[in-house]
Amino acid sequence: MSRNRQIFLMVVVVLAFVLQLSVLPQFKLLGVQPDLILVVAVVVAVQDGPVAGAVVGFCGGLLQDIASPQLMGVSALTKTLAAYCAGMMKDFFMTYSILLPVLLVFLATIFEMGAHQVVMVVLGQESLPPFKITAVLAESLYNVLAVLVVYPFMRRFKFLPKEDSVILTKPSKT
Amino acid sequence: MPAAPRSNRNRIILIVIIILCVTIVTLYVRESDKGPLHKIQNFFLDLVSPVSNAFAKIFRPIKDGVVNLFHLPSLAKERADLQKQVAELQRQRIETKEMESNLEELKRLLNWTEQQAEIQTVGADIIGQSPNNWQRLMIINRGSASGVQKYMSVVTDQGLVGRLISVGSRTSVVELITDSRSEIGARDQRSRETGIVAGKNDSTLRLTPMKEDADLKTGDVVETSGLGGTCPPGIPLGKITKVTNRSSGLTRYVEVKPYTDFSTLDKVLVVITPEPESVILREQQ
Repeated sequence: MSRNRQIFLMVVVVLAFVLQLSVLPQFKLLGVQPDLILVVAVVVAVQDGPVAGAVVGFCGGLLQDIASPQLMGVSALTKTLAAYCAGMMKDFFMTYSILLPVLLVFLATIFEMGAHQVVMVVLGQESLPPFKITAVLAESLYNVLAVLVVYPFMRRFKFLPKEDSVILTKPSKT
Repeated sequence: MPAAPRSNRNRIILIVIIILCVTIVTLYVRESDKGPLHKIQNFFLDLVSPVSNAFAKIFRPIKDGVVNLFHLPSLAKERADLQKQVAELQRQRIETKEMESNLEELKRLLNWTEQQAEIQTVGADIIGQSPNNWQRLMIINRGSASGVQKYMSVVTDQGLVGRLISVGSRTSVVELITDSRSEIGARDQRSRETGIVAGKNDSTLRLTPMKEDADLKTGDVVETSGLGGTCPPGIPLGKITKVTNRSSGLTRYVEVKPYTDFSTLDKVLVVITPEPESVILREQQ
């Protein structure tokens, strides 16, 4: 991964975090809002590999934990695992269609919410609301909508290394 | 082969991240509310809350617009339902007002009948008015089936309304005291001077006293005299509003304003008197 791409990902994570806290709560549907940080982490996992996705998931999740009144570290942990698993699953699909990130975001959302709930139960957070399958499905579908915007946007800023970009240029006639 | 070291490095990174997460969670759970992690979280919460509120205010119109857009079909239905409810409530309100008004009127009539213990009455609703301008008539929903007869008096708690000039089995026609053909035996309550009160087809009555020099003053109450037998004595007719001595000196013009407000009349009482028609006929003979 190039340095430009790394800087770009840092900017994207911060941007996703800001949007997650400010804009997206205003556009809740069925009581849920898209988890943009998870979507970005899964897209990074698809485009840059599972570890890059895990790092993005960790950083974004930790920012989310710090800036919201919840148990610190849980979102970071679950988003790390979800993004890493999504990145690993990518290799099982021989396609570069947008359907791949769509499917992976859908599955990652279900996994992340389930894992979040499990961790909370293990840590004895009894004040939490019960696990609602409708909320999980609603957020999954909302995230699928988000990935349709995020994935093409992030693919535009691949910042391929020079040796890779030479291969993509047309061969000269001479 | 470079793939294996990279894979190991990735695993190490992942393990480090997971350990980091678990450590943060553990420290957070174990520390008190005044611990460093809680302090960091509180600091960021204080920092983020105003920003979040500001965004909420900025995006509220857009959000409302989007929400309204999604709820457009249901809003239309809701609007139609609410309009139906409003119409129904308005109808109920009118009905309630009508019932309240009827109740008030019935209470007044009941009080009056209680005061006039010796008079037997039958309650009736006004169901029609005279169809032209040169008659002052009303139609009530009581007829011979209810025991009413021709020439019986019709009253309210305010005073005399008129008398029945036509009686069917279920309905009757009331000739109001303001009708030009109506003539009622009357007397001045103060001076006990008698006379005849006649209608003029307008809102006032004319009192013709029996004696030319009768003691009549403006403001005197005029009531039925009971002479003639069709109407019980003592039922208020109205108040003298004008006493004029005609220049010819033949007849005095005495104007009486009826107590009964005929425009708002809704319920009346028919005074059951023994065979009033026979009395009239006997007089005519």
